[in-house]
Amino acid sequence: MRPSGHDVKGTVTSGGDGRRRSRRDWLDPLLVVLALLLLWELASALGWLRPVRFPAPSRLASSLWELTVSGYPTGVTLDTHFAITMQRILGGFLAAVALAVPLGLLIGWFPLLDRLTGTIVAFCRSVATLSLLPIALVWFGTGEASKMFLIGYGCFWVMLSNVIAAVKQVDPVLVRAARTMDAASFDLFLSVVIPSALPRILSGARIALGVGFMVIVGAEMIGTIIGLGALIMEARTFYRSDITLVGMIVLGALGFVFTTGLERLEARLLPWRVRQGGGPS
Amino acid sequence: MKIDVDEVVKRFGTDPVDMPLVLGGVSLAIRENEFVVLLGRSGCGKTTLLNIIAGLERSSGGEVRVDGAPVVRPGAGKGMVFQQGALFPWLTARQNVLFATRKRGLAAAERQRVASELLDLVGLAGAEEKYPFELSGGMQQRVAIARALALDPQILLMDEPFGALDELTRIEMQNELLRVWSARRKTVVFVTHSIWEGLILADRIVVLAARPGRIVLEQTITLPRPRSRTDPVLIALYEDIWRALQ
Repeated sequence: MRPSGHDVKGTVTSGGDGRRRSRRDWLDPLLVVLALLLLWELASALGWLRPVRFPAPSRLASSLWELTVSGYPTGVTLDTHFAITMQRILGGFLAAVALAVPLGLLIGWFPLLDRLTGTIVAFCRSVATLSLLPIALVWFGTGEASKMFLIGYGCFWVMLSNVIAAVKQVDPVLVRAARTMDAASFDLFLSVVIPSALPRILSGARIALGVGFMVIVGAEMIGTIIGLGALIMEARTFYRSDITLVGMIVLGALGFVFTTGLERLEARLLPWRVRQGGGPS
Repeated sequence: MKIDVDEVVKRFGTDPVDMPLVLGGVSLAIRENEFVVLLGRSGCGKTTLLNIIAGLERSSGGEVRVDGAPVVRPGAGKGMVFQQGALFPWLTARQNVLFATRKRGLAAAERQRVASELLDLVGLAGAEEKYPFELSGGMQQRVAIARALALDPQILLMDEPFGALDELTRIEMQNELLRVWSARRKTVVFVTHSIWEGLILADRIVVLAARPGRIVLEQTITLPRPRSRTDPVLIALYEDIWRALQ
């Protein structure tokens, strides 16, 4: 937090400071980005940066236009790439969440299950998802299934370990308190354990979705020319660095929008979480 | 309801020889509507004894009976207030209190009425819709007391409920508790390590010592409430209890 009530010149600012600051919270970073783009454009115009390595922002803008209108490869426009990529990411992500949440609740609640599975979960989570690419191709071929599998794999283990941790971190005093109020077994689980674990489960989902956005590029490397990841690889083959960069920026922006969107949703759904610590991993 | 603590032994762990004896055969008879304070240093087993009375922990030997029936599980008319409140952070003050009424077989409107009445009783009118994180420590403990009372318990068990509060709030809460208790008579077992807290609140102070946990002094206090901290009788009792704790 910056000290409030003073601007950079050290003079005292007038009322409405809170709103003013929250506007500057996004305005300042935006100005930094614009300044960098300007610098980049200038460096390109002066010939300091070679176009193949660093296409100028103006060039990227026209490439984005080209991609939107005529497409790359020709006929495959940005919205198609976007739709296919989102379909793969969300498909893998939702399947992973649907499996990981019930399984994680079980493992987290029963210490015996946790003891038996702990090592496997830690190991599988540590496996770099893209190292599974060759074997995924062997198992599922080059179609959609192998892509969903890779994204699902990456999301699943992150989600699972967060759900397990979420349940294990439930404050035992809350469970004891509930027991003194005649809550037992399944009722206790529904009315105390799940709401207690919910904040961390939701942030686990946010992190898992982020993993999906990372894995997608690798998952789309083989067997397709449609999708933002495929676009990036395909353009590189033809020395279209501009398209590669545009694809990267669009993908980055999507990931950013989705994860911050989920963050906002969390704050909206869980108003009590505001002052609670214990971030996810 | 009266509580009989009969030769209660508690060991931690399963090894019968080596394990430390937390409670070494404690016996205590608590009368109906009596306010008993369990007092002792950390590690004397007072909280363990309270948990056994609550049914949250099992004794390794002996038993606790409530009106003659052995305690085998928590709930069933025993309300409990924990040191840190143990409020459900995802529920508002009112919802926390309502949680305790779920198993009472009341109609929804009646449950709401009970919750409003209790929140009113503990001085939280106007703060019913706030979440615990929006409430001060003292207010959180008020909710916790209202929640325990919402079970309509015959017994109120309190585990250092004011231990985390600052001195001024603590004194205020002690007065509040006495006011609430005079409105809703219950058998109270109150754990603390503050001698003054015991002297201000208790009908009887039970002093425990550690290794093994045992009763070293029982002091009945017949002074009417509210009691003054400058009362010479209490000051003399303070000295006795202090010596018993050495």
